[in-house]
Amino acid sequence: MAVKSVLQLKRKKDRAILSFSRSDKPVNVLDEECMLALEGYLDELEASPPDVLVLQSELAGSFIAGADIHAIAAVEGAEKGAQLAQRGQAVCLRIERLSSVSIAVVQGVCLGGGLELAMACDYIIAVAADKTRMGLPEIKIGIHPGFGGCVRLPQKVGWVVATQMILSGSTVDAKRAKRIGLADMLCHEEQLEQAIEQLITKGKKVISIKPKWFALWPARQIFFMLAERKLRARFKDLDMEQTYPALMGALNALRTISGLSSDAAYAWEAESIGRLAVTPTCKHLIRVFFLGEALKHQDAVKKGKASAAKLQHTSVYGAGVMGSGIAWVAAKDGTVDLHDVSAGALSHGLQSASKFAKRDRQRGGKRLQRIRPSLDSSGLSSSDVVIEAIVEEIEVKKSLWVDAEAQVSRQALLLSNTSSLSLSEQQSDLKYPGRLAGLHFFNPAPKMPLVEIIAGKKTTKKTLQTVAALAVRWGKFPVIVADRPGFLVNRCLMPFMTAALGLLEKGQSAQHIDGILKNFGMPMGAIELADRVGLDICLHVGEHLSGALTGNEQFAMPNWFAKMVSDGLLGEKSGSGFYIYNKGKCQGANEALDAYLSSDASSVGHGNAVQEKEFDANMKEDAFVMGGQEVIDVCLIPMLLESLRCLEEGVLDSAEYLDAALVYGIGFPPFRGGLLCYFASRERSELRQSIADLGFDLPVNLEVLDAFA
Amino acid sequence: MKENKREIVVVAGIRTPLGKMGGALADLSAVDLGMATMRELLVRSRLTRDDVDAVIVGNVIQPVEATNIARVIALQAGVPRAVPAHTVHRNCASGMQAITDAAEKIQLGRADVVLAGGVESMTHAPLLFHDQFRKKMAILQRARDIPSRLKAAWGVAQAPWKPRISLMEGLTDPVVNMGMGQTAEVLAREFAISRKEQDEWSLQSHQRAAESWDSGWYDEEVMHVFAGSSFAPVHMDEGVRAEQSMKALKRLRPAFEKPLGTVTAGNSSQITDGAAMLLISHREKAEAEGWPMLGYIHDWAYSGCDPERMGMGPVHACHHVLSTSGLQMKDIARLEINEAFAAQVLSNLKAMGSKQFAKKAWGEDEAIGAPDSDKLNVHGGAIAMGHPVGMTGARLILTLLRQLKRETGGGLGLASLCIGGGQGGATLVGSEPWQ
Repeated sequence: MAVKSVLQLKRKKDRAILSFSRSDKPVNVLDEECMLALEGYLDELEASPPDVLVLQSELAGSFIAGADIHAIAAVEGAEKGAQLAQRGQAVCLRIERLSSVSIAVVQGVCLGGGLELAMACDYIIAVAADKTRMGLPEIKIGIHPGFGGCVRLPQKVGWVVATQMILSGSTVDAKRAKRIGLADMLCHEEQLEQAIEQLITKGKKVISIKPKWFALWPARQIFFMLAERKLRARFKDLDMEQTYPALMGALNALRTISGLSSDAAYAWEAESIGRLAVTPTCKHLIRVFFLGEALKHQDAVKKGKASAAKLQHTSVYGAGVMGSGIAWVAAKDGTVDLHDVSAGALSHGLQSASKFAKRDRQRGGKRLQRIRPSLDSSGLSSSDVVIEAIVEEIEVKKSLWVDAEAQVSRQALLLSNTSSLSLSEQQSDLKYPGRLAGLHFFNPAPKMPLVEIIAGKKTTKKTLQTVAALAVRWGKFPVIVADRPGFLVNRCLMPFMTAALGLLEKGQSAQHIDGILKNFGMPMGAIELADRVGLDICLHVGEHLSGALTGNEQFAMPNWFAKMVSDGLLGEKSGSGFYIYNKGKCQGANEALDAYLSSDASSVGHGNAVQEKEFDANMKEDAFVMGGQEVIDVCLIPMLLESLRCLEEGVLDSAEYLDAALVYGIGFPPFRGGLLCYFASRERSELRQSIADLGFDLPVNLEVLDAFA
Repeated sequence: MKENKREIVVVAGIRTPLGKMGGALADLSAVDLGMATMRELLVRSRLTRDDVDAVIVGNVIQPVEATNIARVIALQAGVPRAVPAHTVHRNCASGMQAITDAAEKIQLGRADVVLAGGVESMTHAPLLFHDQFRKKMAILQRARDIPSRLKAAWGVAQAPWKPRISLMEGLTDPVVNMGMGQTAEVLAREFAISRKEQDEWSLQSHQRAAESWDSGWYDEEVMHVFAGSSFAPVHMDEGVRAEQSMKALKRLRPAFEKPLGTVTAGNSSQITDGAAMLLISHREKAEAEGWPMLGYIHDWAYSGCDPERMGMGPVHACHHVLSTSGLQMKDIARLEINEAFAAQVLSNLKAMGSKQFAKKAWGEDEAIGAPDSDKLNVHGGAIAMGHPVGMTGARLILTLLRQLKRETGGGLGLASLCIGGGQGGATLVGSEPWQ
C-alpha cells in the first residue's frame, strides 16, 4: 500500500508551497490528521518564514471541501464545540500573521473551513474551471462558519454580500468570486505562475471595512434589522429559535462581530459555534445530509454509473405538470423530446419548463432549448430513455410501451412515472421487459430531490442500477422500493392526508390544521397539499390504495370528499378546493366547504359546532380548537404507522432511507431528522398511549425506533 | 450531360409555418427558426447527425449577432462540431442557392450528405443609424479631454438620429435605385397587366393556399412551432386568408407608385418569417443506406437580367434550364414561380408565351410556352403565404417535390424565382431518376 499522504510542505528558495494532497479520500478535508499536519508545518514556517507561502491542492477538482462533519456531529457540550472552532481559528490566524505573503490557489471545491483557510491568506487566486466553487455552506448543517469566516468573509466581499452568503450557504463560481471580491485574481491554470508573481509584488494585504457606511453603528443596525425581518418573513410559520437556531445565531453572530475588534470577534464566533453545534437541529441536519450522501453513493448507483453516463437522449411522454418537470430535469445534461398528442398541452408544458429556465439565467435558456416538443412519436428511435408521465390507466400505459418498444433500440430504458400502477403488470406485453422500471418523481419534479425507483418482476438488476445512477446524474436522491401499491412515499402520505380530513370533520378549520403542520415544519399543510395535488387525484389514489391494500381503512376518502370532486372542486387547478386559488396563489378558505362537511349527517359534533357559532363566534373558536401537539399526533401517527408497515412488508429495507425519503420526497422537516427520528425522540410509553388513544393497534415493529435513539 | 455525374436526391425536407412580420413567429430569431427546423428534420429523417458532411444555409438579412448563421444554427441543432457550415446569399434565391450549392458539392464528390436550406426572420431586420451618426460616435470615442469630449458629444447630438429601416433599404436595388415594388410596376406597365388581373391572381393564391391547408396538404410539409413566451402552437401559414375577396383587394391603395400604380400590398408577397431545411444526398448513397427519397434534383441555372426588370428573372432562368436539358414547357408537370408580385408572375407568363420576347431575348423563333394555370403554384404562393426572402427558394423545391410524388404521379417540376438585383434562378426536379 502506498504511503498515505495528507499535506506536504515544499520549499523552493524563498517560496514555500503547502500542498493538500489527500490520498485516502476523493477530496481534501480538514480533519484531525490534516489539522495535525498543518499545525506541524506551521511551527516550521513560523520558525523560518519564507517570503511567499502558496496554499494549493494536488487533487483535481478539490481545493478543500471543508471541515470534518463527523467531528461536528460528534460534539457533545458547548465547550467542545467552541474548542473545535478555536483550533481552526488559531490555524487561520497563524497563517494570517506570518510575515510571508500568503496566496491560496483555489481550483475545485473550496467550501466551509477550506474557504476560511484560504481567506486567512493575503490573496486568493480563483482558477477558472467548471469545478471551482467557493462558499460557506455551514448554515445547511445548522451552524455558521467557525474558523473565522464570519470575520474574514465580510472583510473580503463586504458585509452585505457576506451576510447573504453566510445565511443562505450559497456558493459562487470562480468568475463571480472575482467580481464580488472574494478572489483577488481570476486566472486560467496556465497563467498561475504569472498570477502569483503579480500578487507577490503587492505585498501583504491591508484590511478595510466594506462597505464604508458599515462603520456607522446606526447603519449597521438598520441593515441587520432588515435582514432579520426578511429572514423571519421567509420562515413565517416557524419558531425560528427552535427550528433553525443557526439562522438567527448566524445573524446575531454577524451583528455582534460587526462591532467588535477581531480578537473579541473570534472569541464570540467560537462561543456561538459551541452553542449551535449541540442543538438537535444541527445533529439532525447533519444526519439528513449524510443520509442524502448515502443515497447518492449507494451500491446500485456505483454499479450503474458507467452505463448511465452513456444515456444522452430522453423521450418524455405526457406534457402535463409532471411530464414537463421531468423533461426539464432530463434536459440538465442531455437532449429531450417532449411528446404529447395535444398542441395545447405541449404549449403549457413548455411554459412551465420555461419558468424553471428563468430561474437559471446563465444556463436556463440553453437547457430549455434542448427540449424539443413533438406531437407524434418522432425521435423515439434515437432515444436512450423513454419516460412516461401520461394518464394513470394501466391499459393506456401498456399500449404506449408496446408502441414504444417497436421503435426504440434494443437497449433503451422504459421508465414509468406511475405513482400507483404495478410495474410488473406494465411489463406483461413487452418483448424485453427487463428494461422497464418505475422512476417516480415528486411534484414539482425539478424541485423535489427524491425519486422512487421500482423494479417490476422482470426488471433486470442492471436496469435498476442504471436508473439509480441516472437519477443521481440528474441531481436526484434515489430510493429503491418494492412494487407495492403506492410504493413508499404516497402510501405514507395518504393516511396523513385522510387524518387531516378527519380533523376537518371534527370542526377544526383548514387554516388551523395547516398552520400547525407548517409550524411543525412541513412545507405545506395537509389540506393545502390535497388542493395542490388535486382532489380528484387524491380520491383516485385513495380509492386505489384502499382497494389494493385491503383491511386498511386509512386510505378511504370520506363521502363528502367524493362529492366535492364530483362538484368540480378539484383544488388549485379548478380555482377552488379547500381554499380558493387565483393564479396558483392561495386566497383564503373556501366558504363553500361548510356545506360539504355538514352534509355529512353522521357528524353530530359538527352540528353542535354550527349551532354554537350562531350564539357566540368567539366561544366556538376557543372551545373547539385542538392543541398543536394533538393535531400533529393525529396527522403524523398514521403516517408513522404506515411507514412502519412499509418496513415490515419490505417495501424498502432501510429505516434510515425511509427517513431520508420522507425528507426529500415530501419535505418532512429536515431539522427534525426525519419521521422515525422524530418519533424515536418521543417518550416511548407516551407514544404507545397516543397510538392507543387514536384507536390504532400497536405496530409490531415499533422497536425499529430504538435504533434511532 | 447527366450521365457521368452523381444523381442528386432529396432525402427529406421540412419547413416552419410562415409567420407575418411581427406576428406569430416574431419572438423567434432567424437562428431559433433555423435551429428548430434543422433539429426537426434530423429527428424525422432516417439519417443520423453523423451522416451529415456539410451544412449550407441561405439567409438574406444576416443577423449581426449570428454571423455565419449556418454554423450557429448547425451547432445549436446538434450537428457534430466537426461538420463545417457556411452561409450563402443570393437575395431571394438564397434558399435555392444553398440547395444547388449542396448539389454541386455532392456531384463533385466533395460530400455525400449536405444539410441545406434557407432561413429568414424579416421581423428582426435591424434599424440602423445613419452613417453621419456613426462617424460622430467614432469621434466621441476617440475624444480624450473634456473640451473635445463635449464638442464631440455636441456633434453626436446634432447628427441624424432617425433610424434607417434596413428592411426597406434591403428591398431597394442600389444600382438602379428602385424599390422591388417599383420594378414590378415597370413590368405591369410594359406587359399591360391590369390591377384587376393582379388582384385576381392574388385571390386565387389565397384560395389555393386556404384550400390546401383545409385539405391537410401542408400538414406533412410544415412542422409545428411553439413560439414566443407563451409557447403558443403555430402550424398554419399566418398570412393565408380564406375569406379574401376581390372587394377587399380592390380597396387597397397602390403601395409603391401613387396614385396610378397597380401594385398593392394585397397583390405583393407578404413580409414573413420562416425556415425550410432539406437533406441532400446522391442516389448511390441513399440506395445503399436504404434512405427514402423525396425526389431528384436534375439541373439548375441562374441568369442575369435588367435590374429594373428583375421580375423577368424566372423567364430567363427557366429558358436556360429547359434548353440545356432539351426540354419544353409541356414536359413539365408542375411549376412553382415565386409570387414576389402578381404583376411579375403574370408578366412572366406573358413573356413565356411570347415569340417576340423569345426572339428579342435569345434570338429564338419559338416561345418557351406559358404553363397552364392548373400546373402553376397549385397550392398557393407567396402572396398568400409569404416570402421570407432567404427561405423561399428551399420551400419551392420542397413543395414541388411533394407535388410530384403525391399528386402528379411523377414527372418533372420546375421551381423558379426572381432575384432582386436582376437575376433569376430555376431548378429542375423530378420524382424519378433522369431518363
